[in-house]
Amino acid sequence: MIVPEVTADDVDPILSVAARHRELEQIANAALHLGRLMMECGARIGVVREGIRLVALGLGAESVGVRCGYASIAATVGIGSITVTRMTEVGRHGVDHRLDLVLRRFALELRETGGTAAGLQADLHRLVRETPHHSPWFVALATGLACAAFGRLLGMDWAGFAPVLLAGAVGQLGRRMLLRRGMNHYVMAAIVAFLAGSIGGWGAEILGSGSSEIALTASTLLLVPGVPATNAQMDIMEGYPTVGSARAVAVAMIMVFATAGIWCADALMSTLV
Amino acid sequence: MTPLAAALVSIGHQALFGAVASVGFGVLFNFGRTNLRWCAIAGALALAVRTGCLAFQWSLEAATFVAALSAASLIVLVVPRRGAAADAIALAGCIPMVPGAFFGKALLGFFALTTPGVTDASAVMVSSSEALLRVVFTLGAIGAGLAVPTYATGNRGF
Repeated sequence: MIVPEVTADDVDPILSVAARHRELEQIANAALHLGRLMMECGARIGVVREGIRLVALGLGAESVGVRCGYASIAATVGIGSITVTRMTEVGRHGVDHRLDLVLRRFALELRETGGTAAGLQADLHRLVRETPHHSPWFVALATGLACAAFGRLLGMDWAGFAPVLLAGAVGQLGRRMLLRRGMNHYVMAAIVAFLAGSIGGWGAEILGSGSSEIALTASTLLLVPGVPATNAQMDIMEGYPTVGSARAVAVAMIMVFATAGIWCADALMSTLV
Repeated sequence: MTPLAAALVSIGHQALFGAVASVGFGVLFNFGRTNLRWCAIAGALALAVRTGCLAFQWSLEAATFVAALSAASLIVLVVPRRGAAADAIALAGCIPMVPGAFFGKALLGFFALTTPGVTDASAVMVSSSEALLRVVFTLGAIGAGLAVPTYATGNRGF
């Protein structure tokens, strides 16, 4: 007996549309997963949109539309006349260069080779898990050294170098600990600025530095959000003023809270010295 | 020490600590080992160019623009195989020029204006406003300096 081949046209059209919706939903969710990770790694919006587009097309979508906000991303993917729109929330914006690069390469490769949505989600989890990171102590030491170098650039004398190095390192360890405990980003900035500024300022004063004010300020420069500040400009230049403005406001807020911490450290030092 | 020798020592000093600061922030941003070397080169170049321009009595903003442009051009044009990493390396090289200290000075000045019994409020207002304007213009200079080579070479970040 010859069994006729079943084509898409023979299947119940309602079931067919539902199956296509389900497929598109998985594509949208997978692409948004990558976009969320890219934003949390510090990529600018143009790159995030391109990453989402590459992944969605690589997974089989024929059309892709992306809307990026500061705290969420939405994507509409479609095949023929059927489309779905999905949204995902974005977590705290940080900077992770190596993961960012891995994700960009991954998106490019996926566009070339194709893949499945389920496989992509698993690959993304694996990339996040396996991308190497420097040890927290090494990062703290490097951050302290960067703050001390900043101090020298600002005209701080050598007596202030070691205290600022220590203050920057302690500030970085404190920042990591507070963020891991779920502390609000802005409140963290005020606390770390006070802590690092006090250590740097007092340390420089005790060691006889003539530039303890610079030491106090330099100790807190680990908090200056240089990458978001530059991303804000680039986003606006590339035609995404909404996210760019939001980034700029977040940068200003961080600086206001950090300055409040510096002010408290300075006031305490002025009162007690 | 002759003025030229003093200027060279100053440029060397700023380049050295610019490199150290860039590498430090590169570690914080989780750059790999190879890219950290490029961060050091970009940071040293940016600070050397800026210090040199300042020695010729350029404004801070103009000097910063040329410095960011130089660092970004070096990374984007001379080291094209860096590919997607190029923008981030150039940015890390310019991080030591981000005027965080000016921003702090401006805000501390504005805080001081609101305290009771403030003395010479006009002078505080002028100096704080000046510092804030320098922040805005210097950040703009860094952004513009970084953007020009990126867009001129059509680097889309992938």
